[in-house]
Amino acid sequence: MSNLEQIQTDFQAFLIDETKGAAFKSRIIDDAKVGAAKRLGIYYDAYRFRIIEALATVYPKLHVVLGNDLFDKTARSYIDQNPSTYRNMRWMGGNMQAHLQQTLPQYPIAAEMAAFEWGLSLAFDAEDASILTLTDLAEVPLETWADLKFVFHPSLHLLPLQWNAVQIWNALDKEETPPAIAKTNEPCLIWRIGIDLHSGLNSHFRSLEAAEFSAIQLAISGASFGVLCEQLQDNLSEEQATIQAAQYVSTWLNDGLITRI
Amino acid sequence: MTQTNNSQSLTSQPKLANLGFGLGLRTEHYQEILNNKPAIDWLELLSENYMVAGGKPLHFLDKICENYPVVMHGVSLSIGSTSTIDKDYLRDLRHLADRVQPAWISDHLCWTGVHGQNMHDLLPLPYTEETAKHVAERIGIVQDYLGRKILLENVSSYASYVDSTMTEWEFISLICEQADCLLLLDVNNIYVSSYNHQFDAKAFIDGVPQNRVQQIHLAGHHNHGDYIIDTHDTPVIDPVWDLYEYAISRLGQVSTMIERDANIPPLAELVQELDIARKIAEKVQAYNPSAVRLPRHIK
Repeated sequence: MSNLEQIQTDFQAFLIDETKGAAFKSRIIDDAKVGAAKRLGIYYDAYRFRIIEALATVYPKLHVVLGNDLFDKTARSYIDQNPSTYRNMRWMGGNMQAHLQQTLPQYPIAAEMAAFEWGLSLAFDAEDASILTLTDLAEVPLETWADLKFVFHPSLHLLPLQWNAVQIWNALDKEETPPAIAKTNEPCLIWRIGIDLHSGLNSHFRSLEAAEFSAIQLAISGASFGVLCEQLQDNLSEEQATIQAAQYVSTWLNDGLITRI
Repeated sequence: MTQTNNSQSLTSQPKLANLGFGLGLRTEHYQEILNNKPAIDWLELLSENYMVAGGKPLHFLDKICENYPVVMHGVSLSIGSTSTIDKDYLRDLRHLADRVQPAWISDHLCWTGVHGQNMHDLLPLPYTEETAKHVAERIGIVQDYLGRKILLENVSSYASYVDSTMTEWEFISLICEQADCLLLLDVNNIYVSSYNHQFDAKAFIDGVPQNRVQQIHLAGHHNHGDYIIDTHDTPVIDPVWDLYEYAISRLGQVSTMIERDANIPPLAELVQELDIARKIAEKVQAYNPSAVRLPRHIK
């Protein structure tokens, strides 16, 4: 190992865990004015502050829900367990849901809030894609509908949520008093409105019933319209199932979720 | 992947066009820049923020590039690292350059991590001949890959290595000579480091290869008494403006911009702050006309 490689390895080890810094301190010029320990401490603190700030940007409502102290403690333990391998700090928060499930199991709303906000951030700069419209679909002959398969927008994320994280997020976003934590078992869709449909390019979300959630999961997995109808027949007549499936597809088109067939 | 159209020969004259007075592009200002077309000569974008698949960042960037010359400024090249150069990063950097056609591409003279990890900080290098050689070789690889000279920026630092055998400006000069690269001189960083390490900031400016300085950064910082932390969240202070005046009286007029990364004010405030740089340049031109070349737009 070259001298430079040793310095960098030891410096990084110190930043990740300062208890390993005692030996490295001897590589830094000491002085009466500031001192080597304080000089290294600037880097040690900056490493954490910078990433905590990046995590707070991705998880603004989780920050509110946890409060400053618990968010800070959570972020620090997260950083310790998840050293960044990313070129941009924006990607660092991807394991937060799992981290919160481990560190705050008694507070499951936190992990779900993290999952929701991570979904919003992924939708924000996911790949662009043009949107299919009802007019496009009207050109498809009725007899071929059973074989129709749908390609969904790259920004679409499905979240099987158990708690009312979305309602709490919404209230906090509108600066209203959030509802009490409650179990709702309402799954959620997150996606970005495409440029072709509106000019907004903002992330959107909506809660949906379990039946629609199963249907869209099935459609995303590549199932045809005919298979969707068959699955819905578990609870509906054949005619009702076809009408329901058509309504779902119409809703997905209006939401700007389908990019092509 | 195709080469960029505006890549210049690596053996051409050191300096590129002078773009005038610019600002760092920040998301808070996208809409105002597009709606009002403020009097900014050029914009510097943070490369990593646009290495994404789609959505708002690239949508706005494309529109802004139609109206303003841009340069690319990165933070994760890690040119001084002893780990292997991240080829995926270089590929994405070149891909972004193909898209925005920047006047130039810059990053920092530092390292950001080893062993596949990123500390997301501009960590200092020991100023030795071994390090200079190592960095210069890597700059060569990057410049060959990108098909253009890159600019490297002096960073603010808070610690010095006992291993260092030369000054920072001697180190920079050695690298420039060996790598034939350009410099992004951050005047605020010179001020911060000179305060933290007790050296003469003017000696730094006098010591770097002046014909390679392509761009100047200006920014604010926080003074903690014994040391200064570079924060980019406040206006440029007077001593840094004085140092800027000294720099351009020595270097001639260089593309200059203000970097604000936090506590982002309304765009008008930054445009007004940029006028201070313009006035200083006019003042220097008045007393030392030979030092100043008038800006010319490349678009």
